[in-house]
Amino acid sequence: MDEKRRRFEALALPHLDAATNLARWLARSSADADDIVQEAMLRAFRGFDTFRGSDAKPWLLAIVRNCFLSAASRTRRNAHMPLPDDDGSPQDAALVSGVPNPEQATIGADQSRKLDRVIAALPLEFREVLILRELEDLSYRDISIVTGAPLGTVMSRLSRARALAKEKWLTDVEGVRHGMQ
Amino acid sequence: MECSDALRVQAYFDGEADPATVPEIERHIESCAACTALREEMAALRSAIREQVSYHRADAALRGRLIQALDRESEGASGWRGLISRGSFRAGQFWSGAASGAVLTACAAAFAFFLILTPQSNPLVGEVMDAHLRSLMSDHLIDVASSDHHTVKPWFAGHADVSPPVADFPREGYRLTGGRADYLDGQRAAVVVYRHGAHIINVFAWAYHGETLPRITTRNGYHIVFWRSGNLIFCAVSDTALDELLGLTRLLEAMSVPDSRE
Repeated sequence: MDEKRRRFEALALPHLDAATNLARWLARSSADADDIVQEAMLRAFRGFDTFRGSDAKPWLLAIVRNCFLSAASRTRRNAHMPLPDDDGSPQDAALVSGVPNPEQATIGADQSRKLDRVIAALPLEFREVLILRELEDLSYRDISIVTGAPLGTVMSRLSRARALAKEKWLTDVEGVRHGMQ
Repeated sequence: MECSDALRVQAYFDGEADPATVPEIERHIESCAACTALREEMAALRSAIREQVSYHRADAALRGRLIQALDRESEGASGWRGLISRGSFRAGQFWSGAASGAVLTACAAAFAFFLILTPQSNPLVGEVMDAHLRSLMSDHLIDVASSDHHTVKPWFAGHADVSPPVADFPREGYRLTGGRADYLDGQRAAVVVYRHGAHIINVFAWAYHGETLPRITTRNGYHIVFWRSGNLIFCAVSDTALDELLGLTRLLEAMSVPDSRE
């Protein structure tokens, strides 16, 4: 029996959703993100013999991030990197097309899209720490493993990311809410 | 105005502060208006992000592609999904693996009852897939609607050729929704319908006649899991994640060998 495959399925595969989520938030396009995830999972599998420890999540997410960065630099060489617009263009729609929650009222859905856009518009180094901390619930140490940034840098980036997100969120989302009342 | 202690307050908020310094930080927050506001803003942003921001999970298509890629990658080794796609089976290696692989043991155990063929080669896979899609498209999902297994199970007695075990699993999140009869493999198969979140799971059961079936296969984003218990073949189909589908099949496989009226 393939011991490596079994260990991989037990330790790494349960983090596939986290890998997908991070890739989507880094790449901001679902097609690119799927390619990144597949590439990352295969790299992780090939290198799984070198993995030591019990929590494969930060290790796997670091590979996802590296795959994203190499894909992004390839794209940059060939063309330009797509950036999200602020006006809800089709590009933006793809970004937030995840799984709409049918229970959400129109206003709720609208706010959700707005906050998605606020986070997506943050520069990469701020976007990633915020996603890793708030959506993946990673510790500072794990965020440091994923991003390769020292602990102090993780803390200051997180602080800056929160300030930027709050600022944009208050102007975009709260503005809408007050405007509708 | 930002306080010079803002990063310490953030670390405290994130549960990362040195426990020895926590009382001091708490005292500081109480006396510092900027840090009180900072903590509230961080909490508001966190709950907004966790409630409103999209969490992108891997869909069935991505999972399927990934499993195939891993199969190709571990070609030559005898991974359990590799066994399915290559149609080979080495019992000794299989059992040593099943014994040490706690996570996969449950999935793998039923394996021993099957001769493995290439998934696509069996027309029954297509039949089951068609029956599943028909049940979702028409209003013929349920003949007897009930979350009570005492209602659903007796219904099969008059309407299907087999009578599979029926149970509701509220704690695990698999809710019994009802039953129906479908014509499958030349017989009246019993179908138990479960709901898992927003997903429908059809569990087909029919009499075993020595057919060879894959353990797990994926068609058009739908996962199909087969297993055998006693003289019945079971097949669970859904568009839910494979792990979640296997959660239900494990529960059902753990139930006693069913009686069947052949």
